[in-house]
This record gives sequence, C-alpha cells and structure tokens, in this order.
Amino acid sequence: MPQINTNEFRAGVKVEIDGEPYAMVNVEFVKPGKAQPFTRVKLKHLKTGRVVDRTFKSGERLDVADVQDLRMRMLYAEADGAVVFMDDNSFEQITVSPTVIGENKQWMLEEVVYEITIYKGEPIEVVPPTFMEMKIAETAPGLRGDSSSGRVLKPAVTESGAKVQVPIFIDEGEKIKIDTRTSEYVSRI
Amino acid sequence: MHAMHFVFASRKQIINFMGDIHEKLAALKERASCLRLVREFFFDRDLLEVDCPAISHASSIDQHIDVMRVEMDQNRWAYLHTSPEYKIKRLLAAGIGDCYQLSHVYRSEESGKLHNPEFTMLEWYRLGWEFTLFMEETLDLIRLMLGLLPASFINYRTALKTYAGIDYLHATSSELLACIDKHGQQVSSDAQNWDKETLLQFLMSAVVEPHLGKDQLLVLHDYPASQAALARTRQNGDETVAERFEIYYQGIELANGYHELTDVNEQRQRLYKEQEARKTMGKSHLPIDDNFLAALEKGLPPCCGVAVGFDRLLMLRLGKTALTDVLPFSWEEA
Repeated sequence: MPQINTNEFRAGVKVEIDGEPYAMVNVEFVKPGKAQPFTRVKLKHLKTGRVVDRTFKSGERLDVADVQDLRMRMLYAEADGAVVFMDDNSFEQITVSPTVIGENKQWMLEEVVYEITIYKGEPIEVVPPTFMEMKIAETAPGLRGDSSSGRVLKPAVTESGAKVQVPIFIDEGEKIKIDTRTSEYVSRI
Repeated sequence: MHAMHFVFASRKQIINFMGDIHEKLAALKERASCLRLVREFFFDRDLLEVDCPAISHASSIDQHIDVMRVEMDQNRWAYLHTSPEYKIKRLLAAGIGDCYQLSHVYRSEESGKLHNPEFTMLEWYRLGWEFTLFMEETLDLIRLMLGLLPASFINYRTALKTYAGIDYLHATSSELLACIDKHGQQVSSDAQNWDKETLLQFLMSAVVEPHLGKDQLLVLHDYPASQAALARTRQNGDETVAERFEIYYQGIELANGYHELTDVNEQRQRLYKEQEARKTMGKSHLPIDDNFLAALEKGLPPCCGVAVGFDRLLMLRLGKTALTDVLPFSWEEA
C-alpha cells in the first residue's frame, strides 16, 4: 500500500489508520522551540463522519486509503431504498445500500450525477451536487397578506422528498434551485 | 445559467483579493517601521549590527532542525544558516563585543500557521551579563513591539507539574503516556515506541504551552539538561538544569535564549551527540563546523545570547493569527 510522510499531509488527503478510512480535515504543524516537531491532524471518519484529533511525530508515515471518487448517474431506487447508479463512460452499475445513502435520500433524483466515494471496492459515501434543480411536489398556496406580516417563507416538499422553506409566491409544480449543503432555497428556475 | 454563475463567482474573488491586498500592504509598512524600531533599540544600547553570511561550508547540527542545502556549482554543496549563532560566536571570540544580527534564516520542512521555511530572526549577545538581567532585556525588546505587558517566570519542571500534573525527572515513559491520555490528547498508535524525550516534548507542546503567557509575557526557564542545546548547565538540587529560557505570549513561543556554553570539549561532545541522533533518525549527515569549535578553543567570552522570531512578534502586534499575514509572500505564495 502506498504511504505518505507527515510533510505530505494536507486537508483532503485520505488515509487508513487501524484499518479504517479517514479524510484529513485540518493539518497543523507544531514545533516547540528546538524540540521534536509534531503534526496535529483533524481526521474525519469516511463512513461514520466522526471527527477525531490525532498527533503524529514528524516523519511518521501513514497508509494512503484505497479510495476513489467516481461521478455516477442515478438510474433508479429499489423498493428497499437501495439506489442504483451508472458510470456514463464504462456503463458499469453499482448498487448503494440505504445505510450509505443515509440522509442524502432526500436529494436522490433520477438522471442526476452524484459523486460516489469507493473504498476498497465498496461505496461508502454519496455526495449530491451543491446546487440542484427540482420541482415542488407539495406546498400550501401563498396567502395574500402574508408578506405584510413579515412571513415571507413557507414550508414545501420537493419531488425528491426534501423539506425546504420557499418564498410564498412559489406554487406546486414549479421548479426551484436549492443549495443541498444547507437545504436553502436559491432561486426560481 | 452557468455563465451567469461564473461571472458572479469571479467578481466576488476580485473583491476579496482587494480586501486582502490593502491589509497586506498595511502590514508590510508596519514591518518596515518595526525593523527600524528594533535597530534603534540596539543603537541606543550600543550594540553593533553584524551581518554574517547566510551561506556556509558547514552547518549547525541539531537533531530537530533540518538544514537547506544549496548547490554552489556542480557537485559543490553549501548550507543555508538556520541561525547566525556559530558565525556570531566566531566574531565574539575574535573580540567584536556586544552585537546583534537581524536576518533571514532558513529551516527545511517547517511550514504552518506559525512557521515558514524562510523567516526573519533577531539574534543578539551580551558579554558578561547575568542570565536574569539578560532575560529582562529580552522582555524589553518584546515590549517594544507588543506594548508594556507584565511578565512572569516559571521553571520548566514547575510548569509541567502545574499544568500536566507530572514530575518529569522521575516519570517513566508509561507514566508520561498515561498523562497524555489523561489530558485527552490522542496520539499516533506509534507513541508506544516514542522515547521519554519525545513524550515530554509532546506534553509540553500540547498540554502545557497553551497555558503559557495567556494575558502576560511568560518566561519559561531552567530546561532539562537533555534540552540544553547550546546553553551551559548547572546543578539545582536533584536536577541538572540548562540555563536556557523561552518567552511565550498567548501560547506562542517568541524567544529562545541561553547562558552560552563556552567549554569547547562539552560543545564538541554535544555536536557529536546530535550528529549521532540524526543518524539514528535516518536524517542527512551534517558536517561539524570546525571554525566554530576553533573559536571556542581560542576562547568565547562568558555571554548570554537570544534568538527572537521577528515575524511572530509582528503578527501578534497586528492581531493576526498566521505568519502569512505579515510576510510579503509566504512559502506557498513565493
């Protein structure tokens, strides 16, 4: 397995520690006076998302995690919640389990291209595009006078099942743009 | 749609850049006036400015400081100084008297918020001064840039007892590991193999340092003999201590000073020891500077010396948190 030295540690680098995959979130070089230098790293567990701190003696080496990021198009969801994706170039298909999809279930739309992290041949994370365009499936009609009372947003549910706050002038069936990081409405399409 | 988005993003970047550049230019002007302030400080105190070369045939030897090598011409290599210490000591032995140097120094593999591989070091020496008086002068120089901050003193052993709850002199490696764990510090699984010195230095940097100099300057002094570097040692009860000090402010190390070692035999032994340690660590071999040892042989007058990180002082003066903010270009941008 290829290894990297502490001086190659950078945010975003994916490593394997005690058989578990982590991504470096933050890397800090610590050197007290003329003493031994250390590298302090914030690591995010790629499967659980848990963040841990770990300090290494400078010069230590870590295994690079066998991780690949693939861009794959969603084909369909199966009855049990698993989702099938396809690589547009190789036509290779993979099935991602509902546990790995997790909270991103609300952003799953057929034909959209997602970033899928593969670790040792297994998908471990599905990341939706930052901005997605989708139809409003459910929302109450905007009531006249609401804006004057200062209430300018109302709850809505999108075709993918995401719950978002939209401006009162948005009606069912309209298409909007959403920031998937914050679930915030961006604009009407 | 995409084109619109792109235009918006790039305009935002330009605005951000303009904001940064104004602050950067202001920092560089402050940098220039501080360089002048420092020179005036030493002019008023009658110290001579010296300007020893950055490139040398031999290098300083320290197991934790990595030296940069430069190719002079084909297959002839030289070293960039990591501090002007050896050269200044040659001048002191030759009789130059109290002096200082304000120059760029170079350290390989040191890069981070508080480190840059090339940085500005202020180093000065006082002949025949008491160690405590010299600490006071160093505090005065720091106050010149950070304002009239009060200062307190603590020795290394007490600092570890107070903030980490351990007596380093009698602690075993496993006790130090347990102490690291007790303070919630997660270390590499390889830490089981770290030697006592490494564990001690980790405790110091991770557990003790954040407490040092929170709202006033703090002088940490009387280091373990194992960390003497180029300082003389003395017996203090059951402990051999090095007459070395560091000054901290807001957990950041600003100065490293010594009551200088003048014994040439002891100095030679320490250089060999560092060379041996580098070999064990698989680091590059560095040649011993015979001219430096010859100067000590001839006779280095009793003196105190200190090195101060000029960029860090400027950073704190301007309320910044990274060296990048006060350098014209950090290593990443250079």
